[in-house]
Amino acid sequence: MLPEANPKVSEPIIRIVNLTKKFGNFTAVDHLNLDVCDGEILGLLGPNGAGKTTTLLMLTTVIRPTEGTAHVGPYDITKEADKSRTLIGMAFQEPKLLWVSKPWDILDWHAKVCGLSTSERKKRVRWALEELELWNDRNKTVHTFSGGMRKRVEIAKILIQRPKIAIIDEPTAQIDIVGKHRIWNMIRDLRDEGSTILLATNELYEADVLSDRVAIMHKGKLLVCDEPKKLKDNIPGGDVIEVVLKENASQEHLAELKAMKRVVDVLTTKPNHLKIYLNQAEEVLPHITEFFIKTQMPIATIQMSEPSLDDVFVHYTGLTIEEAQKK
Amino acid sequence: MISLRKVWTVAERDLRIFLQYKFLLIMRAAWFLAQIALFGLIVNKMLNPEVQLTVGGNYYNFYAAGLIIAMLYSTAVFIGYDIYEEADHGVIEYLLSVPVSRKELVLGRSIGGGLRSFIYVSPMLLFVLYIIGVTNPLQFLVAFFSLFLFAFGVAGFSITLAVSIKSSDGFDILLGVLDALIIRLSTTLYPIAYMPSYYADIARFNPLTFAADLFRWGTGIESTLLTPPAVAVFGIVMFFSVFTFLGIILHERRLEGGSWQ
Repeated sequence: MLPEANPKVSEPIIRIVNLTKKFGNFTAVDHLNLDVCDGEILGLLGPNGAGKTTTLLMLTTVIRPTEGTAHVGPYDITKEADKSRTLIGMAFQEPKLLWVSKPWDILDWHAKVCGLSTSERKKRVRWALEELELWNDRNKTVHTFSGGMRKRVEIAKILIQRPKIAIIDEPTAQIDIVGKHRIWNMIRDLRDEGSTILLATNELYEADVLSDRVAIMHKGKLLVCDEPKKLKDNIPGGDVIEVVLKENASQEHLAELKAMKRVVDVLTTKPNHLKIYLNQAEEVLPHITEFFIKTQMPIATIQMSEPSLDDVFVHYTGLTIEEAQKK
Repeated sequence: MISLRKVWTVAERDLRIFLQYKFLLIMRAAWFLAQIALFGLIVNKMLNPEVQLTVGGNYYNFYAAGLIIAMLYSTAVFIGYDIYEEADHGVIEYLLSVPVSRKELVLGRSIGGGLRSFIYVSPMLLFVLYIIGVTNPLQFLVAFFSLFLFAFGVAGFSITLAVSIKSSDGFDILLGVLDALIIRLSTTLYPIAYMPSYYADIARFNPLTFAADLFRWGTGIESTLLTPPAVAVFGIVMFFSVFTFLGIILHERRLEGGSWQ
């Protein structure tokens, strides 16, 4: 399922300019330049160690950049950190909770420090705890909680705060599949209510289904940023159409197929099994079926598959995300 | 511009967290009871009338007043341990990300750390006041409010140490040693006149000396050995100001710079 383009996307609300962070000799983020548009969900995708979390921590002014800066709304994070934090809320990758604390107290305090009135605070905290199925455990200390429950408490902070810019690091790590869908919907709702979402993830599917645009990072650098569909369409021969014919294909047929517009390559895994690598498969598919009908080659099955964001990552780095993570 | 609402919100959080440490609170109270019901009484009996006269006629009262200051100190420094606990759980990152300025954060934590120790010590304070009595209410109020500043100053001092030392074990050991030295090189347990001069010279500038002597003055313990109240108040104000300021500066430079990671 592809996300629909969000019509609310407009001017940049975050402008990252040459943002760099070095820890000793190690460069975690290397001259990053990126705009995040008002009202969009921007997925920051990359393996562990790509520099995603460090970028987010600099944007929230938790750590200072070594070089460069970012503008959050009208505020420069290096000069007006206090003001920029009024626009931002962050849900961290690892839940930031003292184990002696209780969900209600954690969330109530978070809502209070973000300036919500008492009545609004109580309402939103209750709503978030109920939505995330934590209401019955609201007065238990979090040391009794599973990793997924702690993560839900962390996510609840941002859902209660409803900041202008919500920064979410690995929103559904440790959360079961039902919980993932619920949180994805809540993030979309947050966007629809006017928040801009910047989310870091190393889950390809999550980035794909949730993001209006995806920025891919590797070794502290930005490789590419665009809508997921465009990123996938821009891989030469990224789409694949697999055709099983009732008869074997001849070399002439294969040559004719290869000569078609947008077709990059045709491989035969068996004499009647063809793998056609092409761009923008949905446009070419009718021509291919027409070709087989005209040439009187009956089709047994036909299947179209799109490239994944992993293919996009492979295209730019030569590595899958898993391989990059291991390195 | 500092928002008092935000400062209070930060302080309130530290108050709530403190109440979660039930075991620690019970143990501290038990320690106080042992000191006041055993140690103080026994030592009081050991001292001859001459010595008793130099400390206002009754060493037990002198000791009880000093014990309150030692309790205030040892519970106010606990905020530093909280900071280490928070660093372990990443809560410092969270606190640095909320819409509160660094000044509001450190000020709130100093006040929260000080206030919670004051609230915790209050029943013990009332008990000690019941034993000693108060002869001049005005003097007592001056001393009482100075003790607030003292507790906030100790919290700021602890925060400063916590953000300056990278290892939690190092912090733990340092505070243990400091606890022993700061309390013993002060007039909380004994008057300055009985210390060797090289210890007395240090003790004269110890904030615990200022606080203990001021509290004794506030409760009406009469002794020429006490630090003059104006000097003690000045010393406490300076102690509070210096460590709150240092806490803010170090918080900004060391935590936000990411050097603690």
